[in-house]
Amino acid sequence: MSRTGSYGIWRILLLAQLREQPGRFLVTVLALALGVALGSSVYLVNTSALNEFGLATKRLVGEADIVVRGPRDGFPEQLFVDLAHTPSVSALSPVLELEVALSDRKETLKVLGLDPFRAAVLQPAIMGDIGEAMFQLFDTDAIYLSSAAAQELKLKRGEQLRVTVGSTSKALRVIGILSQNTYSQSLGLMDIASAQWIFNALGRVNRIDMRLSPGTDVNSFRRDLGTKLPPGVLALAPQVERDRAVTVTKAYRVNLNMLALVALFTGAFLVFSTQSLSVLRRRRSLALLRALGVTRSQLRNALLGEGLALGVLGSLLGVVLGMIIAAAVLKFLTADLGNGQLRAAGASLRSAPLQTVAFFAIGVAVAGIGAWVPARNAARQPPARALKGGDGDFKAAARTGWRSGLAMLVLGSALAWLPPVGGLPLFGYAAIAALLLGAVLLVPTVTIQGLRLAPRTHRIVLDTAVSQLRENVSLSALSLASIIVSFSLMVAMAIMIHSFRISFDHWLGKLLPADMLLREPPGNDTAFLSKDDQAKLGTVTGIARAEFRRTLQVLLDPTRAPITLIARGMSEADTAAELPLIRSVSAKESPTPTAFISEALQDVYGYKIGDVLQIPLGGRNRAFLIAGVWRDYARLSGSVVVSRHAYTAATGDDSANEGSLWLNTGTDSDTVARMLRQTVGNGDALEITTSTALHERSLQIFDRAFAITYALEIIAVIIGLTGVSFAASSTALARRAEFGMLRHIGMLRRQIIGMLADEGVLTSTFGVVYGLGLGAALSLVLVYVINRQSFNWSIDFAVPVLPLVLLSVVLIGAAAVTAIWSGRAALSQDAVRAVREDW
Amino acid sequence: MRPGGCLLAGYLLTRCLLTGCLLSGCLLAMPAAAGTQYAPVVPGHPFRFPADLGSHPEFRTEWWYVTGWLMTEQGESLGFQITFFRSKPDIDANNPSAFSPRQLLVAHCALSDPKRGRLWQDQRIRRAGLNLADAAEGDTNVWIDTWSLRHAGQSYAAKIDADGFSFDLMLAETQAALINGQGGVSRKGPQPEASSYYYSLPHMRVAGTLSRNTAKTRVTGEAWFDHEWSSEYLDPEATGWDWIGVNFNDGAALMAFRIRSLHGEPRWAGGTLRGADGDMRVLEPADVDFHAGRRWISPRTGIAYPVEWTVRAGSHEISLRPLLDDQENDTRLSTGAIYWEGAVQAYERNSIVGRGYLELTGYGERLKLR
Amino acid sequence: MIDPILQLEGLSKRYSKDRPAIFEDVDLTLRSGEYLAIMGESGVGKSTLLNLLAGLDTPDTGRVVLEGVDLTTLDDDATTRLRRRTVGFVFQAFHVLPYLSVEQNVALPLDLLGVAEPERGRRTQEMLTAVGIEALSQRHTRELSGGEVQRVAIARALVHRPRLVLADEPTGNLDARSAAQTLTLLRAQIKANAGAGILITHSRAAADTADRIVVLEARGLKALEAA
Repeated sequence: MSRTGSYGIWRILLLAQLREQPGRFLVTVLALALGVALGSSVYLVNTSALNEFGLATKRLVGEADIVVRGPRDGFPEQLFVDLAHTPSVSALSPVLELEVALSDRKETLKVLGLDPFRAAVLQPAIMGDIGEAMFQLFDTDAIYLSSAAAQELKLKRGEQLRVTVGSTSKALRVIGILSQNTYSQSLGLMDIASAQWIFNALGRVNRIDMRLSPGTDVNSFRRDLGTKLPPGVLALAPQVERDRAVTVTKAYRVNLNMLALVALFTGAFLVFSTQSLSVLRRRRSLALLRALGVTRSQLRNALLGEGLALGVLGSLLGVVLGMIIAAAVLKFLTADLGNGQLRAAGASLRSAPLQTVAFFAIGVAVAGIGAWVPARNAARQPPARALKGGDGDFKAAARTGWRSGLAMLVLGSALAWLPPVGGLPLFGYAAIAALLLGAVLLVPTVTIQGLRLAPRTHRIVLDTAVSQLRENVSLSALSLASIIVSFSLMVAMAIMIHSFRISFDHWLGKLLPADMLLREPPGNDTAFLSKDDQAKLGTVTGIARAEFRRTLQVLLDPTRAPITLIARGMSEADTAAELPLIRSVSAKESPTPTAFISEALQDVYGYKIGDVLQIPLGGRNRAFLIAGVWRDYARLSGSVVVSRHAYTAATGDDSANEGSLWLNTGTDSDTVARMLRQTVGNGDALEITTSTALHERSLQIFDRAFAITYALEIIAVIIGLTGVSFAASSTALARRAEFGMLRHIGMLRRQIIGMLADEGVLTSTFGVVYGLGLGAALSLVLVYVINRQSFNWSIDFAVPVLPLVLLSVVLIGAAAVTAIWSGRAALSQDAVRAVREDW
Repeated sequence: MRPGGCLLAGYLLTRCLLTGCLLSGCLLAMPAAAGTQYAPVVPGHPFRFPADLGSHPEFRTEWWYVTGWLMTEQGESLGFQITFFRSKPDIDANNPSAFSPRQLLVAHCALSDPKRGRLWQDQRIRRAGLNLADAAEGDTNVWIDTWSLRHAGQSYAAKIDADGFSFDLMLAETQAALINGQGGVSRKGPQPEASSYYYSLPHMRVAGTLSRNTAKTRVTGEAWFDHEWSSEYLDPEATGWDWIGVNFNDGAALMAFRIRSLHGEPRWAGGTLRGADGDMRVLEPADVDFHAGRRWISPRTGIAYPVEWTVRAGSHEISLRPLLDDQENDTRLSTGAIYWEGAVQAYERNSIVGRGYLELTGYGERLKLR
Repeated sequence: MIDPILQLEGLSKRYSKDRPAIFEDVDLTLRSGEYLAIMGESGVGKSTLLNLLAGLDTPDTGRVVLEGVDLTTLDDDATTRLRRRTVGFVFQAFHVLPYLSVEQNVALPLDLLGVAEPERGRRTQEMLTAVGIEALSQRHTRELSGGEVQRVAIARALVHRPRLVLADEPTGNLDARSAAQTLTLLRAQIKANAGAGILITHSRAAADTADRIVVLEARGLKALEAA
């Protein structure tokens, strides 16, 4: 202590802390690092992906001021001719943009059919790279590939690429490969004439890029143009195309960030409990420092400095870790964080110095917040009382928390009712945070009340455990807080995921009633089954009944992702019967064809049952009466189901791209699949599967998608447990003298350890029960607010009872083991020295 | 008039390169897979006007090429050039798409402006069709978007709305067509099949308006009009050529060209000379001599162009001096071609006897004929 | 009842092999009703000796016979059980449990011995009355003065009527007045219990409250010469 003057106080404190408890120090640092790493890597991966996607979109849109976009089947090319004659249009480029089905693989390839001469003006980078080879594009079978596409398809210049159009396979010839720098995503380029011919789209284009003469007011021109375009054709600002990509991943991103917040929250609690415990443990040394002349603020700053030092180390580690994780994710996984919604291959890690500093600062701030309260409390302690011993003030302080705790609970419950902000459940997250904080603030009060209920055994040794807990309620509350926070979040997540899984499972069962399913590669614009194909497939031996569907993308709102139109069920009654409807009305009398919208259309677009939905089909708006809302877990951006009859009547399109097959009993599905493939031209590219297999695979994919969530939650709980073990070992060490006395008066070693185990079980049972209750409350917010607002679909609440019970038992056991283990450590020193030890 | 024959394609290449150059790639890189049949240039088919004023889509290439001098109201002398090329690519003709590139059209225009010190120029390339670009048969009528060259009565209307400048000119015929070569078949190399159909309209009277940026002015002047079509490939021995078309003050007209071999020696030459009295003389290789005079080195590309010449063509021996030295067309960024083409004055014994246009190609790197 | 209560024979103890013994050849016999004070300079090993004779530590050589049982032959649990029944402790630092009431603290040894209510309560009350703090029985020890706390400790040491009471500097943390009262009480209670007591102290005044005084030296216990 005499060195206090020459060294900073905090350095002495910190070094002593480090020396005495390197393990706790390390775990606290690691928890903070995890939070920072998670947050920053999610951010970096996403920024890099969006950046990559943005660059790609920019390259594709090029220097256009306006993009005119139509549905997949486009609009008459005369629109392009008309626009070409419009004054103040300085350049325009017609495009036929299709997701082309490949004959020998399930993926699709985005192909742009364009006029190289016109594209050269608007997409100079891409056409400049092709250079004079663009003349070779005039060959009907010529296609130019981006290097990403060439790599994915394993094709070299001069080789053949087989595509499916209808159910026919056609060969294209790769005449060149774009450099990676020019366009990093997967893409094929063809001449627009060849594309129209090959993909059966003669006379039609679906996109026109326009540049206006200098001085033209782009916005008013675009608005004006918009009113003149046929239904379903939109004049968009290029920015909208990029923004749409951002929106698509927003919900997913926010959920990952939520996990990062959980880690940070846990980290803050860990700092809080670590610092609180260490302050308690050292209260006499700290009081001595005060007595020796260290001022209140010096002491407070010193203790705060300890917390900040933890924060700096953890955040540094976290930032570095975050970059490593982000780089690895970008290298080994896809940049869309595995959710398949953002196809941005080969995104390179984008350094974001400012944001890196921000994440570092967040980590440090979180540690600072965690350290602030214990530092302030310690500094407020009158040194005389602290020197004498006792912890009464903390108890008093803990009791005052209940008012703010209740207030936070009320606030949290209120926030949960608020609507999303910009499509994000921000208030939902705020509700979770408020509920957590409120629940934590209530821990001391509830602990005291709870212990009052603890049974009196009239065995003093047992009562001692309860009395000890009641007496040191602030200590217990501290160790409880970290486990309650992490456990309740885990419980909430588990309930949410379980509810989702059960609902998903039921949903799959409802949607997959047939024995077998077949479909063209999803998302493709070119492959389909003609009426003839459908008839042939339906009569394959072994098939009792066949039903076909047509799905296609329809853009209802230019600022949102396209929705999926599904034409299924021959009659409207069939359609209704086949769907997992949530609500519906009978519309038998309606002269207007009926439509069933998914919940996303209801939540995002605001449609209600009974409304008339205008769907642009075949260049006209077609009215559909909304007769029901169905649950669709497969299409995030929304879907609408109409009967095939209504669809065909509106479009004349009687093709299909999906089908359900019912087999005669005893028919072998493999044999049927083989025969089906032989029946149509592109049979090899057809996805054919049994409903059972698809069901299983869907659930597997579901589980895989949530595996990382579980892993992170388990880490959080382990960190929480570590917090409990620190508290236990710290308490045990602090009670060494007590144990020594008990040994003197004849208590057996195992009796003492048993007493500690009782305490551990009591504490953790309380924590687990509290965590279960809190978790259940949080899960309501997750299921009904955050899930609903993020994904716009409902799920049925279901509690995974057995896993939660098992988990609770494991946690209680682990806490008991921890208590025993720390008791052993405390008892390993001999009782003799313990009773002599004063501090 | 234009170096024809075996160099036709190559010639187009340079012109095309100068205009946008893309066509070259098209013509030369296009695989012959589709097996398009092109009409051959054969003697014994005298021109039938106005049908032959129009497009000949069965031939591989064709151009309408206007070069001349303009005088503004303020007395400025300017050179101008407006060219439309048509090219029939070797593609599958069965594609029913309206976008199918059955014909490609290229337009290039340039203005030689001594005040500016270098050219104004712009170019466009399009596939024919959808009424947005085409070359009509039956009479001269070619257009790309708002750029057009149309024949009506005794006049041609040229409308070009280019980047930074625009022309709206009427070109009136003052003389009968000058039929180049043997009955309109102009030979371009040692091989007899390297030929083109080629006629010129010298001494066209020009009147109209010219805009530079926002400044609009009335102009008058005199131009030289070429129309040439062929299906032949470029002579691989050629590295470049020199070409002139001169309107003499006395009403005479001269077209002369020389094709240089890989080593810079003359490989072929030819021309047509029509006297003021209307007396026609077809010039054989031996009748034409090009002697390079003063060189100008481009500050941008470092290429040395002989911008002054002495040309012997039949009975005439004229020296040529440029309106301005820097009439270099540099399209390396888009096409890779660099050449010189500009307005020149013709002198005989130190007095101005006429005005015309001079084209010099192949003075930089050898033309890339992929 | 076995007499003598405690016998030490040729006891020696060293902290480690390469260091000299703290003490050697300690012999002592303590009989029922005897109250002995052990004095000695700081570091001479008074407390170590106390721990040896309570079975909390094992001697390098020699025997500790408590109630006729040689402690060196017992394992930890057996020693603990013997100690639980036979020995009562009074510490310099009191060592009462702050979160238990006075009554609970005092009842602790009875609880360990399995004495059930109402017997436990009765004996505890008796003991509290005996040390004069019956009025404080429901109070928490942190609300008490040092002297009162030490009375609680004495009550706890004697409540199960141990045959041997070991007091290690019991007045070290007390003022002179409380110290005197504590020593008087301790002696009175030991005598009332008909057991034996050992008081370890460096204070001659404190030692004088015992029946006899020995001084611990490196070569063993020496009877204090009459001054």
